[in-house]
Amino acid sequence: MNNSELDAKLMAAREPVLPADYEEAFPRTVLANLRSATWKKSPARRVWFPRLTWAAATAACVLLAFAVGHWRGRMETGTIPATDSLTSTKLIRETLAMFPNRVRAIVQDERGINLVLSDNDDVPVSPPLYVRICDGEHCSSLVTFSGQEIQIAGQKVTVLADTHGGVILAGQHFMWSDTERVYAASHLKITTKNLGSIPM
Amino acid sequence: MGDADEQNIWVEQSRNGDHAALAALIRTHQPMIHSLTFRMTGSVADAKDLAQETFIRAYQQLDSFNSAAKFSSWLYRIAVNACLDWQRHEARRSRLHDRWGQLRDAESVEAGGDDRLDELSRQVQAALMKLPEKQRAAVVLTVYFGHNHAESAKILGCSETTVSWRVFSARRKLKSLLSNKGGSHE
Repeated sequence: MNNSELDAKLMAAREPVLPADYEEAFPRTVLANLRSATWKKSPARRVWFPRLTWAAATAACVLLAFAVGHWRGRMETGTIPATDSLTSTKLIRETLAMFPNRVRAIVQDERGINLVLSDNDDVPVSPPLYVRICDGEHCSSLVTFSGQEIQIAGQKVTVLADTHGGVILAGQHFMWSDTERVYAASHLKITTKNLGSIPM
Repeated sequence: MGDADEQNIWVEQSRNGDHAALAALIRTHQPMIHSLTFRMTGSVADAKDLAQETFIRAYQQLDSFNSAAKFSSWLYRIAVNACLDWQRHEARRSRLHDRWGQLRDAESVEAGGDDRLDELSRQVQAALMKLPEKQRAAVVLTVYFGHNHAESAKILGCSETTVSWRVFSARRKLKSLLSNKGGSHE
C-alpha cells in the first residue's frame, strides 16, 4: 500500500452525521455554557464551571449517576448549603428560557454544572424540584421536575412532587420523602425542596 | 462560510460581548471542529463535549487571537490541545474500542447507506485510535484537513520536522493496520 492508497482509504472513512437539530442548537448550547462560566465569576453566587458533559442529546431517559461510594448506617436529612447555586431562581429561569421544555435536569457536582436535555420539547412545565444527596465524601445536587428519573445508589428513582409541596423519591426498592423513609441505601444525606413556580 | 474579514469583525464583536457574532463564529466553524474532535476521540459523545470545550476556550482566549492570523488555524490549535488534554486526563482510551463497538451500529445508521463503507469507516477510525495521540493529530490535520506540514506545525506548536516524522510514523503504522483489512472495498 502506498501513501496515495492509504490516503484514499482514510478519506473514504465516513464520520457520523450529527442530527440537524443538534447542529442548530449547538451555538446556543455553547453560549449557555459561557453564561454558566460568567456565573462562576460572581462571588455572590458560587457556580462551578461546567465540565461540558451534555449527555442528554441521545438519552432516552434521565440517568444521573451519583458517586455514592459505600453506604452504611442510617440515612439522615441534610440542609441546603448557602452556597448551592442550584437554588438560584435566576439560574433556573435563564436555563429554562434558553431551552424551553427541554431541560430534564440541572446537575451540580464536583465537576461543575451540567445540563441534561431532552431530544425533543417534551418536558412539561412544572415547579422545579431540588434534590441534594451526600454520602459523606461527595455531594451532588440537581434541579429536576416531577416525573423525571434519576439514579440513586444504583437504582432508578423517579422524582415526584406531592400535593403538599413536598418531594418524593420513588423507586422499586427505594422510597424517600420527608415523612416516608423506606430505602435500600443508607448513610446518605438527602435534602429536597420544591422550589415552587419560577416566574418566566 | 464568512470570509476572513467578516470573521475578524465577528471576533471583534465577540470580544465586546456580542453573542450573535459569537454564535455566527461557532456556526461557521462547528462542522470542522466536530470532525476534528471525532477523528481524535473516536467517540461521538466525547467529540461533542470537546467541540463545546473548544469554543468555550476560544472565547476565553479571544483576546490573545491575532487578527493577522487565520482564525480557523487558531481554533484548530485550541481543539487539538483540548483533545490532547482529554487524552491525558481521562483514562478512557482503553474503553474506546468497546464504546466504538457500541456506537457503531447507531452511527452506521446515521452515516447512512453503504454497509461496506461503514465497516471501512469503523476500521479506519479504530486504526487511528491505535496511534499515539500526537501522531493521530498530525494525520488528522494533514490528511483530513489538507494542511501542509508547515501549517500543521504551527497548529501543533512543534517543528515542521517533527510533524513530518509523526506523519511518517503514523503512515507506517496505519498501512500495517489497514493493509489486510478492507481490501475488498477497493
